[in-house]
Amino acid sequence: MLLRPSLPSFVVIGVITIIGCERRGGCTGANCGTLINAAVAEPGTLLPPSSEDIVANDINEQLFLKLADVGMSENTLGDEDFQPLLAQKWEWDGPLTLVFHLDPRARWHDGAPVTAADVEFTFNAYTDSAVGSPFRPKLRRIASVTQRDSLSAVFRFRERYPEMFYDAVYHMRILPAHLLRPVPRDQWRTAAFGRKPIGSGPYKFVSWQPAQAIELVADSTFFLGRPGVRRLIWRFTPNLQVAVQQVIADQADIREQLVTPENVERARATPQLSVYTYRGNVYTYLTFNERSQEDTTKAHPLFADRELRRALSMAVDRASLLKSALDGLAKVPPGPMSALLWIWDPDIRQLPYDTAQADRRLNALGWRDHDGDGVRDKNGQPLSFHILVPTSSVLRRQYARLLQEQFRAVGVRIEIDELEPSVVNQRVATGKFDAAILSRSNDPSPSSGIAQTWTRAGFGGSNFGRYYSPEFERVVDLAVTAASRDKAKPLWRAAMETLNADAPAIFLYALDNVAAVHKRVDNVQLRPDSWAAVLRTWRIPPDRLIDRDRVER
Amino acid sequence: MTVAAWLLRRLVASIAIIVAVVTFVFILIHLAPGRPCGGRDEIVDPTICEQVNRQMGFDRPILEQYGLYLVALAHGNLGYSFSLRRPVRDAIDDTLPFTLQLAGVALVLDFLLGLALGIYQARRANRLPDVILGNVTLFVYSLPTFWLALLLLLVFGEKLAWFPVGGPSDPVLCPVIDSAFCVADRLWHLVLPATTLGLVGAAGTARFQRAAMLAVASQDYIRTARAKGVPERRVVLHHQLRNALLSFITRFGLALPFLLTGAVLIETIFAWPGMGRLGFEAILTRDYPLVTATALIASTIVVAGNLVADLLLGVADPRLRVRAAEDLDIVTA
Repeated sequence: MLLRPSLPSFVVIGVITIIGCERRGGCTGANCGTLINAAVAEPGTLLPPSSEDIVANDINEQLFLKLADVGMSENTLGDEDFQPLLAQKWEWDGPLTLVFHLDPRARWHDGAPVTAADVEFTFNAYTDSAVGSPFRPKLRRIASVTQRDSLSAVFRFRERYPEMFYDAVYHMRILPAHLLRPVPRDQWRTAAFGRKPIGSGPYKFVSWQPAQAIELVADSTFFLGRPGVRRLIWRFTPNLQVAVQQVIADQADIREQLVTPENVERARATPQLSVYTYRGNVYTYLTFNERSQEDTTKAHPLFADRELRRALSMAVDRASLLKSALDGLAKVPPGPMSALLWIWDPDIRQLPYDTAQADRRLNALGWRDHDGDGVRDKNGQPLSFHILVPTSSVLRRQYARLLQEQFRAVGVRIEIDELEPSVVNQRVATGKFDAAILSRSNDPSPSSGIAQTWTRAGFGGSNFGRYYSPEFERVVDLAVTAASRDKAKPLWRAAMETLNADAPAIFLYALDNVAAVHKRVDNVQLRPDSWAAVLRTWRIPPDRLIDRDRVER
Repeated sequence: MTVAAWLLRRLVASIAIIVAVVTFVFILIHLAPGRPCGGRDEIVDPTICEQVNRQMGFDRPILEQYGLYLVALAHGNLGYSFSLRRPVRDAIDDTLPFTLQLAGVALVLDFLLGLALGIYQARRANRLPDVILGNVTLFVYSLPTFWLALLLLLVFGEKLAWFPVGGPSDPVLCPVIDSAFCVADRLWHLVLPATTLGLVGAAGTARFQRAAMLAVASQDYIRTARAKGVPERRVVLHHQLRNALLSFITRFGLALPFLLTGAVLIETIFAWPGMGRLGFEAILTRDYPLVTATALIASTIVVAGNLVADLLLGVADPRLRVRAAEDLDIVTA
């Protein structure tokens, strides 16, 4: 007898019995299904203007609608490729006036209708400095939003440009004025609404178990059609590897980014998972600080020298770095862009990998190994600098070591400063670094992100290396105002080539996103700028439902 | 000195220790490099960071912040977490029960298994089972906790699928604990994290207990008991174990800091929504009020645990009560 009758044996049998008695639910139709997303971070708030993190955006895609959204083409110019959401239709009333007509069927989850007053309120909130929305700068070219009648909202722009429509719809999720008007704007970051939101999207908020999960349920009366999956759960796991393990062990259904080649391999080898590759919206680069660490008005002793930056860029074999670290999961970006952007063009001229030329240029600049210690020097100063990298990124730490080797081969000494993200954040923002490996995400338009990070507009903001080129800025201005993609593309190409020639940074990799999704899910579409944007169209056919899909609570 | 006076003195000392810990942590986290802003991995726009700093009062002199913090604390206000965007007290209320569940189960496993192994080894001292168990416990005790956690997760969670891969409960069936099924589900989710934490502790406890049992084994009263013909089981359990329990109780006080620090790693790896994980993430985001509050709660638990251990020592050993009455500090006894 394996187990003698005793208290412990009764406990074991009892637990096994209870676990074995999994409750079977009754849902068996076409709109059943529960999808668990293994998320690696928890949002701070679900109030859209105040939420800057990616997970909050993914969840808010389900809760709050925009007036319209970019289509799968990600075309941000004009309005042809945009899909109506809260706005049923729109029309231009003169060159600077855009009128949206709201869908009269749209309702907030508390039953109130969505009106033009909500749209006006939303714009005022997003642009209010008291709210401190990160999207505020992107709305600077919209002068005002007013209501013409209860279902018509009028946008007036300060100037005419090709991405007017994109600016009007992409950055703002429409908010319920009747619920948020009483909340003081300077308290929005911490408002209770952000932890129990009421939206107008395809899913309704159900619960938020702190540090555990957020649950949403489909709005069966959603005016654009009932969502295909009944229940969505974001399960928070602070560790990427554990999140991937949950999907592999069939305890979660979605991991939208597997990140490493090893994880992709494991997901491919898991029978119940399908693997989807889609364009990533992040690029990673080694930025050189062109200003002194002590005083940002003074030049950096090394990196203010354009020729030195160019020589260092030529010493880096980005293709081999990519093969070593990412093995086909990323591309070498032809400039400061992710693969998401339509301006991506592998033919954009870049500095070549040419160690012989790098060697000659460094010699010409006076950087030679005078004392035979393997490190170049000039006037007694070694050619040596520090690379700042956050401890939280395995990939960037790996890249730092690979770069260290490649620079060593041309007589440049690198010290790697692996620091906590909050310290990296502080040092980068205050200019206390030589070089840093940073990542940036793009929205679908090159206009705002590139200008913000690589022009003077980003000084004190996200242009951390303080790169400035009047020629680059001139061409970017032309590209931003070009009327069509055909006209804009050569301008963007010229701008990128100007920037690449100045070598303010070495653009290392642009990740392709690889997602793992349970095979029972049909119609899986992952929009590159926001994978969860069309989650409401995913389906689980009735014959593929598993236990967790049928559960009723 | 009466026991009541001794207790009062210990309480005052305990409060002083807690205040010292809070002060130390408050100053240390403010002086540490890094700034309180935004998420863990993303570089947040500096203008947003400045706004957060102003709103939270982090731009004020540190002494002023400390003074304000103490005043708020005296009113039972633990402050506001900017990273979680909610009152710190709410966050602690949500997470502390999870840490207590994990640490509680791990503590039971630690002591039951450790005690049993220690007794078993002492009874077979220097024989083959003792040598084997001694090496096994040393091996387990030497294992890095995080490594053991990842190993258990890989083998029993992913490969064999016997236990859940992280989390405190099934998010579909039991988002809240509202039935016997969900209680069992919670226990099921506790198995791997509590085993990791308890196993390493048990290995230490076993070695500790074996040594204590052997130290007592050579005492005259044990020899006398055997000479009187007392059955061996009674000698071990009533004479030897009871006297060896004093060191075991001391270890109870020492186990709490071990469990709480271990919980930081275990909770992070197993996605257990406890206070350890909360504190760890607060440090990464430089969420000053949250870091200080988790230190306050953790130090209170440790100090209270030690106080309880001292009281239990007094209960278990009448000699210590006498010495306390003679104005001797039990801790040093």
